[in-house]
Amino acid sequence: MVTLQIALNNLLASRRRTLFLGAALFGVTLLFVLLLALTAGVTDNLIRGATNISSGHVNIGGYYKSTPSDSQTVVLNASQLKAEAKEALPDALRIIDRLRGWGKVISDKGTVQSGLNGIDLADESALLELLALAPAKDYIDNPANAEEVKGSLDALQKPGTIMLFASQAKRLKVDVGDQVTLRTETLKGQSNTAEAVVGAVVRDLGLLSSFASFVPKQTIIELYQFKPDVSGAVQIYLKDIDRSEAAMNELRAHLEKKGYAQLEHDGQPFFIKLLQTVPNEEWTGAKLDVTTWEDESSFLVQIIIGLRAISVFLVMLLAIVIVIGISNTMTIAVRERTREIGTLRAIGMNRGGILALFLLEALLLGLLASGAGGITGGVVAALLDAGGLKVDVDAIRVVLLSNTLHLVPRVFDIVLAVAALTFVSMIAAFFPALRAARITPVTAMQAAE
Amino acid sequence: MSAIIEVRGVTKDYPLGQLTVRALHGVELCVDRGEFTTIAGPSGSGKTTLLNLIGCVDVPTGGSVVFDGAVTSSLSDRELTRLRLEKLGFIFQSFNLVQVLSVFQNVELPLLLQGGIDVAERKRRVESILDRVGLSRFLRHRPNELSGGQRQRVAIARALVTKPRLVLADEPTANLDSVTGNSILELMKELNQQDGTTFIFSTHDHRVMELASRIVRVQDGRVVEDGRGDKSPVAAAAAAY
Ligand SMILES: Nc1ncnc2c1ncn2[C@@H]1O[C@H](COP(=O)(O)OP(=O)(O)OP(=O)(O)O)[C@@H](O)[C@H]1O
Ligand SMILES: [Mg+2]
Repeated sequence: MVTLQIALNNLLASRRRTLFLGAALFGVTLLFVLLLALTAGVTDNLIRGATNISSGHVNIGGYYKSTPSDSQTVVLNASQLKAEAKEALPDALRIIDRLRGWGKVISDKGTVQSGLNGIDLADESALLELLALAPAKDYIDNPANAEEVKGSLDALQKPGTIMLFASQAKRLKVDVGDQVTLRTETLKGQSNTAEAVVGAVVRDLGLLSSFASFVPKQTIIELYQFKPDVSGAVQIYLKDIDRSEAAMNELRAHLEKKGYAQLEHDGQPFFIKLLQTVPNEEWTGAKLDVTTWEDESSFLVQIIIGLRAISVFLVMLLAIVIVIGISNTMTIAVRERTREIGTLRAIGMNRGGILALFLLEALLLGLLASGAGGITGGVVAALLDAGGLKVDVDAIRVVLLSNTLHLVPRVFDIVLAVAALTFVSMIAAFFPALRAARITPVTAMQAAE
Repeated sequence: MSAIIEVRGVTKDYPLGQLTVRALHGVELCVDRGEFTTIAGPSGSGKTTLLNLIGCVDVPTGGSVVFDGAVTSSLSDRELTRLRLEKLGFIFQSFNLVQVLSVFQNVELPLLLQGGIDVAERKRRVESILDRVGLSRFLRHRPNELSGGQRQRVAIARALVTKPRLVLADEPTANLDSVTGNSILELMKELNQQDGTTFIFSTHDHRVMELASRIVRVQDGRVVEDGRGDKSPVAAAAAAY
């Protein structure tokens, strides 16, 4: 196709211009791909955090109310529910249960509100893999030895211990070995307390870390005086996390058939239901509530939405700059090539041909430059991720939901970015191309200056 | 011989700010197939304007131009484009080659625009016409690697490769030295005589006019003289200057 030949040769002929615009397209595509990889990385962190710190892929939670205004987050017969889950979901990899408490952790120097997860270390290999002991500098002001790590991840094997995230330890001004008091309060204002020794301080895992700490199951049982086999929630881990929603529905149907009373599905985390929804409902007794990890971390999804919005906003802003750049350069090019265009018109190329010529130029430029940018972006993202860069700014950690920079370059995102910027460059070329198509063939006859 | 072009009472106005400039005043002209005609006249006399109308790149304000039986002012832009592609060849004062294409590609261009001609046939026709204009050795060259005379030969090849009914040339020698200009005209004349292709070219150089078999002289937008063959047009035109 001769149009292609002319377009390609024109790009090569005006090398400075091509390089300049190409570099801009390259850069923006690269940035776009990095931002998308970052968003995917944060999503990944969110999934890992949410599905280990506060939720399984699918959960059977439950609420118990002795009076209508009461509310406790318990399931009364955990072992039976585990068996039901196993029956309903043959693709479950692991089925565990955790006790859920909510209360204050109090030290001599501070207080934090925290979810108290009662866990059995024997079930929690996946959680332990995710956690790492924090160095002293993460939670102590001016420590003698900044890099020192104390305690052990196995600390919770001992009764009367607690594992805190660094940001909580920092606010409580406690170190491993210090004593804290746990105080829980029922809605009726009745309060129970327990003593615990800080057995380990672990690195923050983003925003989730501020809301959760871990204690042995026994601590929760004692705080709330639970009967045996009472637990907080059964957490189910599937082979394929994408099946969470379907699995939830299957489990709900199964439990329904078996005659368990259940709450209507409501995509909120359990603590919102515990504190706001359930106490305002009329029923008493026990009801189950099956949820997915997305329900339990719906408040964190805002971060991802925000990140995505920032990415799109930034890229759109830069895209506008590119549109202006391409459109200006193209306008100049059309002016410079007026006689050539007139000649092509005179010898029989129609308006559509001229339009196609300039759009093709933009398409080629866009595809080549943003294609290169997209691939480079993917490689850079993969390298950055492999480098495991540490992030030292708290505010950024909160957004990243992690202490290290985690990027996930995905082919789909790269294709998306390349397609978007190629489209942008064609949009930019459209009006200059239209202007070129309107050049009359008479122009060819005019003598050169 | 039948007329390929009939210009009947043609006027052409150009807007110039608030005013209009009348570039042609009631021009009458009839050109038959196979003629080798020049339109001569001083600068600003309306030569280019007249060629534009004949070449279907512009339409008259008044009167009509009939090209090969079709009234140009009644055709759409698309139809005029098709007409130029199929039936006309253009040679420009400043050659107007596509700088980013090779000699071969420049000449091939009209064939590609026409479409429906296979690669082998295109190659044969392009090489044959380039051979006739003496540029067989320059197929892969870019226009800027050629001399002015060579470039104009490429332009002639491009104009002729589609075997058009009519070839128009607006001051084809104005950017060439006189020796080269003469050889370009000789080439055009040769192609006219061998193939019977109709040529109309404009010039204000009377040495170039000598080669034409008919001189149409314009002045101030009017045909002031139309000398054919035996009327010794050269002498008549020379006398006018
Ligand atoms: N696009 C235009 N707008 C306004 N006036 C024009 C335009 N083109 C030509 N004219 C005017 O029309 C008249 C004829 O011009 P034309 O270009 O046809 O003359 P020419 O014989 O080709 O001259 P030259 O030998 O200088 O090429 C001149 O007065 C010119 O100024
Ligand atoms: Mg002129």
